[in-house]
Amino acid sequence: MNARLQSMIDDAKRAWTEQRSSGREQVTVSIDTSSLARGADETLAAIRAQAAAMNLKVDVGITGTWGMNWLEPTVTVRSAAGTRTVLYGNVTADRVPEFLQAVVVEGRDLPELAIGVVEGNATAEVPLLSDHPFMRGQVRRLMANMGTIDPESIDHYLAHDGYAGFGKALDMDAEAIVKHMLDSGLGGRAGGGFPAGRKWDFLRTATADPRYLVCNADEGDPGAWVNRVVMEADPHLVVEGMMIAARAGHAREGYIYIRYEYPLAIARMQKAIDDAYARGLLGKDILGTGWDFDLIVHRGAGAYVCGEETGLINSIDGYRGMPRIKPPFPAQAGLWNKPTNVNNVESYANAPMIMRNGAEWWANVSNEKEKGTKMFTFSGHVNWPGCVEVPFGPTIRQCLEQWAGGMLNGKKCKGFQPGGPLSGVVTANLDLTLTLDPYRGMGMFLGGGGIVFFDESTCILDMCKYFLGFCEDESCGRCTTCHGGTQRAVEIIRRIQQGGGRESDILNLEKLVTSLVWSNCFHGQFAMTSIKTALKAFPSEWDEHIIEKRCRAAVCDGLIDYSVRAQGEGIDEAAEICPTNAFYKEAGGWQIDDGLCIRCGACKELAPSSIEIRDRFARIPAGAAAAGG
Amino acid sequence: MQAEPSMQELRELVAEFLPNRGHVMPALHKVQDRYGYVPRVAMDVIARQLSTTPALIYGAATFYTDFRLHPRPETEISWCSGPACRLKGGDRIREAIQATLEVPLGGESDDGRYGLHIGQCNGTCTESPQVWVNEKVVGNLTVSKAIRLARDIKGESE
Repeated sequence: MNARLQSMIDDAKRAWTEQRSSGREQVTVSIDTSSLARGADETLAAIRAQAAAMNLKVDVGITGTWGMNWLEPTVTVRSAAGTRTVLYGNVTADRVPEFLQAVVVEGRDLPELAIGVVEGNATAEVPLLSDHPFMRGQVRRLMANMGTIDPESIDHYLAHDGYAGFGKALDMDAEAIVKHMLDSGLGGRAGGGFPAGRKWDFLRTATADPRYLVCNADEGDPGAWVNRVVMEADPHLVVEGMMIAARAGHAREGYIYIRYEYPLAIARMQKAIDDAYARGLLGKDILGTGWDFDLIVHRGAGAYVCGEETGLINSIDGYRGMPRIKPPFPAQAGLWNKPTNVNNVESYANAPMIMRNGAEWWANVSNEKEKGTKMFTFSGHVNWPGCVEVPFGPTIRQCLEQWAGGMLNGKKCKGFQPGGPLSGVVTANLDLTLTLDPYRGMGMFLGGGGIVFFDESTCILDMCKYFLGFCEDESCGRCTTCHGGTQRAVEIIRRIQQGGGRESDILNLEKLVTSLVWSNCFHGQFAMTSIKTALKAFPSEWDEHIIEKRCRAAVCDGLIDYSVRAQGEGIDEAAEICPTNAFYKEAGGWQIDDGLCIRCGACKELAPSSIEIRDRFARIPAGAAAAGG
Repeated sequence: MQAEPSMQELRELVAEFLPNRGHVMPALHKVQDRYGYVPRVAMDVIARQLSTTPALIYGAATFYTDFRLHPRPETEISWCSGPACRLKGGDRIREAIQATLEVPLGGESDDGRYGLHIGQCNGTCTESPQVWVNEKVVGNLTVSKAIRLARDIKGESE
């Protein structure tokens, strides 16, 4: 190991040990985008202010997320003796005084907010964190430091064997590093699963110079925030991973393309890079080895299609982010038409683990085909929206019932989306496993890790319109199949939703399914996946909408109407809230003008028993409907 | 509304950027970070600085939804278009806000004091359905809560 790096790691470890044995309570607040949305900044400020007001001797710090987004703001408290650490959830600012009084002044647990014991013994009231259903079965490698270290401190990272993987890579030649990656079996983590080692080898054996690295952190799939968690909670993992890749591929410059919607991830990655420069880990003559490598954060500006690697490359180059025609592949002609390696955040972040602990250790979880761990986020109609890291292979049932806390309000799961708007929708086949193959077999894919569950209140046509509308908005506009096809699909679904469905619509949608695959890039090729899979998975629902003109979920605008059933409780409030003034008085009672009603449902929220949603077409006499054809 | 910045001011602002170094988006970001939007004249300045054409800069600036060509409204509701919000009635919330504010998605009031913008999912799905009001999350909405929020915003500026 490089002597300068070794002494840096040793110093950091010493400082970490000293800090941990300060003899003071250590109160640490998780600060990331998810916790900030739930007021973690106010909690942190309240803890600081309250500790000062009560004259408490405590160390207040920040850390990344534990993944338990539904319990944010989360706070860990480590006892002054350093023997016991407890994780607390829902510590809102207003609870801080009683919280500090109990856990610091009185030195006891506060069971009503406690999630679990991280270090030390469980009690009758507070179980071990590892016994929490959310934590059971997880294998945390990328997430190992999360909840423990301060993501904005390079020393904290170094103290946890940070940059030791890079240190090993410094002692190896490029071919040996690539072999390590190939042996590990690391597959691309954005859904493709292409071996990362092969990609790195393309760059290593490329003939042109300079060569570039790109980290795809344009995590555009709505409902996925895996990469954000890595960048916000342990950004140096990505820096170190890219440094290892640069050694393997002889690259001198790397770009991290982060989407505009992740300002905190951008700030933390930038801080990590600045700190790495300050320590001589980046820049010229790194650690005295004579090797140069620069890393640049590139801020996106809101374009989903830039998540496609060639769109992303065009975007950095300064053009519109339109995907290029392949070949040539980025490995031959990427950034400025030079050889370029593009990997996802999670793929790079795994490289330090592989280098530190060996390929064999890294590959000892999951199965024959997929190796290592994968992070997933769960959202939609679930009780526990959160982020987990697990081996490949558990069933969807385990994901839903154990890690996602089951369906909201105990409703039945209707289906799920395995990874982004291009990945399709699956019926509630909860025996499917979290591996790549079953989805490929169904003509879809397990994407970047954002799994969205939905219950019976969901209209499948409305879901399809949402996904296709998204694809239409985000199409770059190059291929007619894509920008015209998605538009056409949205029009058809919208017409069906308005009550104008025709039996030929299914055929037309199927035609679109087969024609969009001729688009240039992934975006167009997979844009129709949700319709393709929904037609197969929920055929009766399409028939209901098209032939019976009925929406069982009472969502589709043209197939339902709102009417006043009784002049009962809440009806005046309902009339008042109506954003289009569709309520009018007739014979002393409220009525709804169907022409003005936009079916937003606000009135039904305020007067659930007085307002009813009716099937619009059920009231047309059967004979008239038949005569009308 | 602030006056359009001068050419000189803009030239100084983007002086650090170089041609063929991937500096188109960083330059646009820097201008937008300073003024809140990308003024038309800034595109000419950036084009000259980067030795390229205004058309190319305009093409890039209009391709991305987060570059604005006009000053942002005083109060802006960003409506989250993500799936978790959508499943919990997000689309009905959008329609109700549009009807209340009387602006379409992507539009703003005539006096430029409030507007409605499309927001993308950033994974704060515990708060769904949500909007951001000037980038602060307002979550766990219902349609009626969203209407009251929009009425407050509209009322304040009347």
